[in-house]
Amino acid sequence: MIRRSLNTILILLCLAVQASAADANELFNTLRRKIFSVQDYTADVKMRISVKYMRIPQLAGTLYFKSPDKMRLERHGGLSILPRKNINLTIRNLIPAGNATVIDAGEAQIGGKKTRIIKVIPEDDKSDLVLAKIWVDETSMVALRIETATRNEGTLTMDLEYGRYISNGLPDKLLLTLDVKDFRMPKGMTMDYTESRPDEALKDTKGKKGTIQITYLSYKINTGLSDKIFTPEASEP
Amino acid sequence: MKQLLQIELFKIFRRPRTYISFGIVTAITFVIQLAMLTDGKSYMSFALQGVNEQFDIHGNMINGYFITYIILQTLLIQIPLLVALVAGDTLAGEATLGTLRLLLTKPISRNQLILAKFMSSFIYTVLLVIWLAIVALGLSVLIFGRGDMVNIKSDTFILILQNDVLWRYAAAFCFAMLAMTTIASLSILLSVFADNSIGPIISTMGIVVVLTILSNLDLPLFNHIKPYIFTTHMIGWKGFFDDPVPVRQIGISALVLIVYTVAFAGTTLLVFNKKDIKS
Amino acid sequence: MASPILEVRSLTKSFNQFKAVDDLSFAINKGAVYGFLGQNGAGKSTTMRMLMGLIFPDSGSIIINGSSFSNSQRQLLRNIGAIIERPDMYGYLSGWENLKIFAALSGKNIKTTRLHEVIEMVGLKGREKDKVKAYSQGMKQRLGIAIATVHEPDLLILDEPTNGLDPQGIAEIRQLILSLSKDHGKTILVSSHLLHEIEQVATDIIIIHKGKKMIEAPVGELLRPDDTRIEITLQPAPGLQQSIYQTSWAQYSPEIIDGVLTIKMNPAHIPALNKWLVVQGIEVSGITTQHSFEAYFLNITHETTAADRTV
Repeated sequence: MIRRSLNTILILLCLAVQASAADANELFNTLRRKIFSVQDYTADVKMRISVKYMRIPQLAGTLYFKSPDKMRLERHGGLSILPRKNINLTIRNLIPAGNATVIDAGEAQIGGKKTRIIKVIPEDDKSDLVLAKIWVDETSMVALRIETATRNEGTLTMDLEYGRYISNGLPDKLLLTLDVKDFRMPKGMTMDYTESRPDEALKDTKGKKGTIQITYLSYKINTGLSDKIFTPEASEP
Repeated sequence: MKQLLQIELFKIFRRPRTYISFGIVTAITFVIQLAMLTDGKSYMSFALQGVNEQFDIHGNMINGYFITYIILQTLLIQIPLLVALVAGDTLAGEATLGTLRLLLTKPISRNQLILAKFMSSFIYTVLLVIWLAIVALGLSVLIFGRGDMVNIKSDTFILILQNDVLWRYAAAFCFAMLAMTTIASLSILLSVFADNSIGPIISTMGIVVVLTILSNLDLPLFNHIKPYIFTTHMIGWKGFFDDPVPVRQIGISALVLIVYTVAFAGTTLLVFNKKDIKS
Repeated sequence: MASPILEVRSLTKSFNQFKAVDDLSFAINKGAVYGFLGQNGAGKSTTMRMLMGLIFPDSGSIIINGSSFSNSQRQLLRNIGAIIERPDMYGYLSGWENLKIFAALSGKNIKTTRLHEVIEMVGLKGREKDKVKAYSQGMKQRLGIAIATVHEPDLLILDEPTNGLDPQGIAEIRQLILSLSKDHGKTILVSSHLLHEIEQVATDIIIIHKGKKMIEAPVGELLRPDDTRIEITLQPAPGLQQSIYQTSWAQYSPEIIDGVLTIKMNPAHIPALNKWLVVQGIEVSGITTQHSFEAYFLNITHETTAADRTV
């Protein structure tokens, strides 16, 4: 009796793990399909970059994105500043594109919403991305938070809020927290008047973290953007 | 008094040396603009090494606003010489020329004369800074266009939106006028002690150079006296390009400069009123 | 007795240990031309600078028109014109501009016609638009006088106005001073280190030596013609000493030493004496005259020079 019960429990447990693995995989693939369905977008944005050694006011501009990894901020005569390399400001680049192992890591509440956490480990050894931990709102099928560990860029956290474009999996608001290195010029060169004060927004961040906050005002999705838009020359008059 | 001031201004602006200053400002501005036109990109990428590692910055960074800042930074070390060229000459030059003798045999008080010299030097200084604003800011914007302004401090990268720049320059030029007035005041003071104009001009420059070095040396010994040296506060104009603008610090700097200016002027009056004119 | 326009009482000024002016007192009467004589460095310029408020005296007082100079300097300076040492002006400006500037500062409202008038008076008409740096020394002196007189002051203080001028320039300035005194009624204090320059224009003479006043007297008193010392170089004439003493020339106490006849009398008598000598068959090879005051002045000068040499 006991043995049978134990067996039943073991089978049920195995089934459960298998089922949850299958569920997690399914969840990841569904989410990925939704995110990858956006081939390009043009969005009017407001961007706030908070890095310890940078003092940048809120930037308004148009953000162009084209899959897989092209991104440009157009500031209409102003300067455009974007993080370099992999730290692109779109969720698409934080999600492994190829085969990956997906593990269910339980549930958690984010902003009062119930989410399922999945851990994704890319099978590609050369990928910079080592691990992605995704908090998925299963009802809307969107990621509310992603934490990634990379080989070269440290850790990265992206928090997302959705509104009008939730059906496309595109956020209205995005907060990226990233690692930044320090910056220093020889003092004699610049002849500073005063020491700089740290950004108010960074008061709470420990160590050398920076944040980039983007508010998306509107999107135009899948309009077939030309590659030309993304060449650096296009932005320089 | 009005007449005395008119005469002082007439004398200043009838002398070729006065226009040399305006010419030098123009020439240095041109040189920097030319250098930026040819080498601006490499200058910028050198300055932005640290930032460029992590951020992609695109757009017209080497614009008129950025270049004006570079020009100001460079020129505000040379302009004291140009101010001294005229202010240091106001009394000593007349002593050399012998006209101070004739001037003081006229029924004008020495206080009035000094005041007129101060005011005329001040007007000259203001005009010189306005001219600097025209050639540095006006011409640079004309050549390099407008754009968001990048300001690089030793530990900070500051971006100022283009529609947020002009008021800062207006304030910075006003502050520069104050700083240069302090220099003019110092020159006139030194001018009282000399019977030739080279002395006060060289001494003014010497004092400015030595104190500027003191202000910029990062040694604990000097850190205590730095707040009391006027050259430390002469770069207060840079504060207007910081974020947030250190209003309190700029106010203190302006106050220090005003105190120095008044002290120099007061000492000038005191010394000159007791001075035997032997030249 | 005319009232003094300028009075100096016990004026003293030292520079470090050197006493430039030592207890100097004198008074200048209205309408007179005072010659202020002394060696270079005797204290003339220092005194004149104190009179104009350029140098502050250590002690003593200056009274002009009855008011203390130190109390109402600005008011009193309106009524004084001066050239102190060199007539230095703004070389990069024209003579006209210089005149205009200093006229504007004179404290009086001066019309353009007056500027033309003084330019004409000092003989700079036609050259007034030239830059002063192109002027000769004489032209600068004349412009200096124009500046000193443009506001029609009663008192003129002229410090060595003929310094650095050629003989013609000296004569011109002398004429100008005489005209200012006679035609314009100015009271003038004019300094010089040369007696013969002053004696032709001055009504009174003040001699200052090492900061102290030596003599203050009218020219007529100091330069009485009777006090002229006349030296006549003669052929050797034994017995002349005796024969001259038998004539009326004896009243002038003639003396003959080494063939030189020295006699103190009015130079007007020279032709008569010369005639008498010729009648006596004595040939005259030279006549020099020197006023005893001139001799006295030269003596002071010489003494100082000698003293300077030993130092």
